[in-house]
Amino acid sequence: MLETDVLVIGAGPAGSMAAKHAAMGGAKVLLVDKKSEIGAPKRCAEGVSKDGLKRLGITPDPRWITTEINSVRLVSPNGTDVLLDEEKVKLSEVGYVLERKVFDKHIAMDAARAGAQIMVKTLATGIERTNNHLIVTLEHMEHPFQVQAKIVIGADGPESRVGRWAGLKTGAKPGTMESCAQFEMVGVDMKKSNCIELRFGSAAPGGYAWIFPKGDDVANVGLGVLTPRTDKTAYQHLLEFVDTCPATQKAQPVELNVGGDPVGGLYKDLVTDNVLITGDAAGMVNPLDGGGIISGMTGGLIAGEIAAKAISNGNYSKKNLKEYQKRCQKEIGDSFKKYLKAKEYLLSLSDEELDSIADAFQNSDFDRISPTDLVKMLVKVSPKAMLKLGKLF
Amino acid sequence: MYCGECAGVCPRNLIEVRELTLKFDEKECKDCKICIQVCPVQALEKEVI
Repeated sequence: MLETDVLVIGAGPAGSMAAKHAAMGGAKVLLVDKKSEIGAPKRCAEGVSKDGLKRLGITPDPRWITTEINSVRLVSPNGTDVLLDEEKVKLSEVGYVLERKVFDKHIAMDAARAGAQIMVKTLATGIERTNNHLIVTLEHMEHPFQVQAKIVIGADGPESRVGRWAGLKTGAKPGTMESCAQFEMVGVDMKKSNCIELRFGSAAPGGYAWIFPKGDDVANVGLGVLTPRTDKTAYQHLLEFVDTCPATQKAQPVELNVGGDPVGGLYKDLVTDNVLITGDAAGMVNPLDGGGIISGMTGGLIAGEIAAKAISNGNYSKKNLKEYQKRCQKEIGDSFKKYLKAKEYLLSLSDEELDSIADAFQNSDFDRISPTDLVKMLVKVSPKAMLKLGKLF
Repeated sequence: MYCGECAGVCPRNLIEVRELTLKFDEKECKDCKICIQVCPVQALEKEVI
């Protein structure tokens, strides 16, 4: 039987960060991923913020950046748009559109260079607890084998099973899992090449539609919906969106991606004896915009550091690993609570209310608007919508 | 198609997402159909025997 200090299950950005930082902390690390190729196929619009990468100490590399983003166009259901530009307003969305299959491998390679062993095409199928260790059953190329680990880090994505095998309540519900579908398309007619476009309203019930440029006339065109709010699938909504969106009238798909996005906020319990969960598996997804790369990598970094520390002092108990929960709550979870309220407000607005708000803000000079002016404008546009906002905060 | 949303919402943790296929523990399934409801591409349906 293979033995390791830390077994990381899932080599997405969160898992690879966990493996890298656990290895840097001196632990013996095995990182496994069920897919043949780390990072492919993507299940994501591929956007990251510049601030986020900087905080993680990751230097932008042209090998995995397709486009630099400096503005965001918000489009209401009737097509009214509001342009937010980096020069005029501080935007958390400004950053890069990645090539995930290159980026994810890059982060996994960092983990390997830090000393982690990597196994691809390796699926975890169960966990048993024995004395002070865990015995994890895995399959590599359909051949079962076992690994004895002192700590397991579950970074196994939105479909995570590791947390629940360990007794954590981590499953999502249809109302907290965005159902997403996306085409990578060529021939997309973008008004600005460095601008992401977000479209709100009933085209994507419970979520929004997006166009993320990837250079030239290529873009990720997708949407997320909450299935309790619609009778159609995410894919059906996507087909309708592509059919009606002005930017995609001459576009053709070269790739289809689907997947779930857990947007209910950080899970309550991230830790138990010998086990930490991180990334999408831990609900580390911004509930408002559905982005999870930076928050997942932040969680992975913390998980790796805490795991290495626990290995070093020989204590893998829930009590000793609890610091992970506290740091994740502070660095990720607290901001998510605010985003959850903002999302609740956004979803409470009708198409007409969204149109009125977009209309009022269309030609606004955002660098000159104070928060008080902003509230005054919202009250003027839609007192009903403002009342909804007041109830939430 | 590689997705896995169904596994994430299965209340009984019965769906294993493999690289190219899904594996269901049908014996333990309580027929809640949540997996069918959330599938982005209608890939799942209830088997009628």
